[in-house]
Amino acid sequence: LIGKRVVITGVGVVSPLGDSPVRVHGSLSQGLSAIKPIQLFSTAGLGCPLGGEILDFDAAKYLGQRNLRPLDRTSRLVASAAQLALEDSGWSAEMRNTQEVGLVLGTMFCSVHTISEFDRRALEAGPTYASPMDFSNTVINAAAGQTAIVHNLRGVNTTISTGVTSGLEAISYAADLIRYGRAHALLAGGADELCFESFYGFERAGLLCRSHDSAGDFPIPFDMRRNGSALGEGAALLMLEDAMLARERGAHVLGEIKGHGSSYDCSRGRNSSDAVEAIGTAIRQALSDAFLLPHELDCLSASANGSQIGDRYEASGVFAGLNGQTRKLPVTAIKSMLGETLGASGPMQAVALLETMRDGVLPGIPQLKEVENAFPLEMAQSESQEADVTNGLINSIGLDGHCCSLILTRCDD
Amino acid sequence: MEQRIVITGIGVVTPIGIGCQEFWTNLLKGLSGIAPVQSFDTSDYNVHRGAEVKEFNAEEYLLNLDAAHLGRASQFAIAAARLALVDAGVEIGSLDRQRAGVSMGTTSGEPREVERFDDSYVSKNLDRIGPEFLALYPCHVIAAHVASELNLAGVNIMIPTACAAGNYAIARAFDVMRAGRADLMLAGGSDAFSRITFTGFARLGAVAPESCQPFDRFRKGMIPGEGAGVLVLESLNRARRRGARIYAEVAGYGLSCDAHHMTAAHPQGDGAQRAMKQALADSATRPEDVSYISAHGTGTQTNDRLETIAVKRLFKEAAYSIPISSVKSMLGHTMGAASAIEAAVCALAVSNDRVPPTINLNDPDPECDLDYVPNFAREMRVNVAMNNAYAFGGNNASLILRKRELLN
Repeated sequence: LIGKRVVITGVGVVSPLGDSPVRVHGSLSQGLSAIKPIQLFSTAGLGCPLGGEILDFDAAKYLGQRNLRPLDRTSRLVASAAQLALEDSGWSAEMRNTQEVGLVLGTMFCSVHTISEFDRRALEAGPTYASPMDFSNTVINAAAGQTAIVHNLRGVNTTISTGVTSGLEAISYAADLIRYGRAHALLAGGADELCFESFYGFERAGLLCRSHDSAGDFPIPFDMRRNGSALGEGAALLMLEDAMLARERGAHVLGEIKGHGSSYDCSRGRNSSDAVEAIGTAIRQALSDAFLLPHELDCLSASANGSQIGDRYEASGVFAGLNGQTRKLPVTAIKSMLGETLGASGPMQAVALLETMRDGVLPGIPQLKEVENAFPLEMAQSESQEADVTNGLINSIGLDGHCCSLILTRCDD
Repeated sequence: MEQRIVITGIGVVTPIGIGCQEFWTNLLKGLSGIAPVQSFDTSDYNVHRGAEVKEFNAEEYLLNLDAAHLGRASQFAIAAARLALVDAGVEIGSLDRQRAGVSMGTTSGEPREVERFDDSYVSKNLDRIGPEFLALYPCHVIAAHVASELNLAGVNIMIPTACAAGNYAIARAFDVMRAGRADLMLAGGSDAFSRITFTGFARLGAVAPESCQPFDRFRKGMIPGEGAGVLVLESLNRARRRGARIYAEVAGYGLSCDAHHMTAAHPQGDGAQRAMKQALADSATRPEDVSYISAHGTGTQTNDRLETIAVKRLFKEAAYSIPISSVKSMLGHTMGAASAIEAAVCALAVSNDRVPPTINLNDPDPECDLDYVPNFAREMRVNVAMNNAYAFGGNNASLILRKRELLN
């Protein structure tokens, strides 16, 4: 059962480094970081004041003068990215009236801020003061549902929530629906917002980089001095289509989803060999799904975000998954600049990788000085490098044992 | 040739019984699980009843994880998963752990963890919240906990499509198996009774004061509930090889989105019809071959009326001869678990040739004029069952289960 080919015909991205693939990639290639002191909420008393925040985000810029009141920040991010992806792929409102377009969204929290505020209002003022409109946004599929309403997306509408891997899992899920003929055109990707509630959770879990005015203040994936990640936010969606139908309608093809794999580390990171094995398994599955061998990969877009343990597992897991063929593999880790955007992270990596395929520049990992000794990733470097990428591997690795890998392939047409 | 996928095990944790046997017996009896809410004080609300799971002891199901470090929805999910594996006669040690996975649905994940956060925030004691918040709250932990407890290293996925989530999770597991990515999948849904959910539905005016009366003229709304349902899915070949009992085949599914309103269904049931139609096409089923429909049937005025319209528009004349029941009349609305538990009901109906009743249906609504199996279970041939579920966000999912004897 191999199925139909699945191609990418458009991209929509809203991020702290810009709202177009070219802008985001340009910033990443220049080593510009989005990680700055957070303005969205107070970080007083917390160890880490930093995050990748979209300053002055205004959904009306993308969605016009429609009533945006029912949409919370996460829904606005998703609806905005959807608008951009629909425009980029040429799926007009008229076409959506006659043909079903769906949406598969990966998100870790959707909006824990909305959920928490709804509950706190009921606690403080009494349950009769809780807002029914806010209640409809407390479900974790709210952003996908709201976006479907805004853009008349009547096809499959699924929300996937597997933590950091949510977005890449969503792309895998959507690709399968198209491969096996269940859908023709799907927006797929992910989103998460920066908010106090999730930030506080990460802070208390000790996962965020400290800020003591020394090296390692910022997330430096794979570096000896790394001491944690920074949270980011954003939304990134790909328009996925059945390759044959995309060609028939004369769509511009940006790349192909060649294969994917998923596995789970039952020890949830407590046992290093289980963790490494799970990462390796997801990579091997993606390769076999894509009918590719390790040496046919031209670069790795790593999940690494500066986490002490996570980055170590990933380095070893990549080595295991590629049978040790990592010496000549160019590596990037864009969470060094965008922060950990959770559900949006995998799709952000996909957007950046498509740009790398186009212009041959693979972003570096700013501030990377000394890759931890045992790490077999010799081509991780601080500066951008030239890379002629036909097949690129994207990793997404979560905190709770979820591993997802996906292979993107350039389409020269 | 695509693999045929079958259900070989059922595990449920419900307000009317834990485990497949107790649940099915009580369901056919028409037992109600609705009672005064005990999870929290409802004195500030104008409604006070819910469908909670009673006498649940998580320790009975946990061999590896510690109940103190698990939210209630994770505990329910693990219990249902273990019960399903025992029911299927599957020894965990016999599985290739890389090829055994978990696909679960939920509405709220672990809402009590965020409620604890909110209590601490409001009382200005936020320092009480430690690393456990991130470890216990995000909804993906439900599927993660099931896999950790059972040592399953295959695909692990969480689909939070609200009140239709169980069907979505089963559908994903079905596709994962058909693509040959797993030998066995545990698929279902889980939700814990939640203050946030109760508050929200109460504010929408959707909660009934006393009982849940789907399709009755005087129905007053839904009753929030909790629970979990998990099915064991295997390929037909594997199930036959090991001589497993087969409840039913998962024959196909359909998903759609209303793209109309966050909380209200489309006025002509457009999305619901498209999901049912796709499910019929996917499973190569003619409308007149459907023996039984498990309704979403929440008991709200709007849902039951629109659901009836959708069934009538799609099935035409045949609609009047297909028995339809809503087990929510007994279980309340178990949220993300509901359609998983209802899929279990369909599997049991298909394998036992009995369908459960819609209780509290005494005065039929003239606008709801189909056969809702009022008040008493019915013995009848059930070849094909359709399981319908609808959710906030306009998410619709229909699943079709088919009798084992129809497998060739």
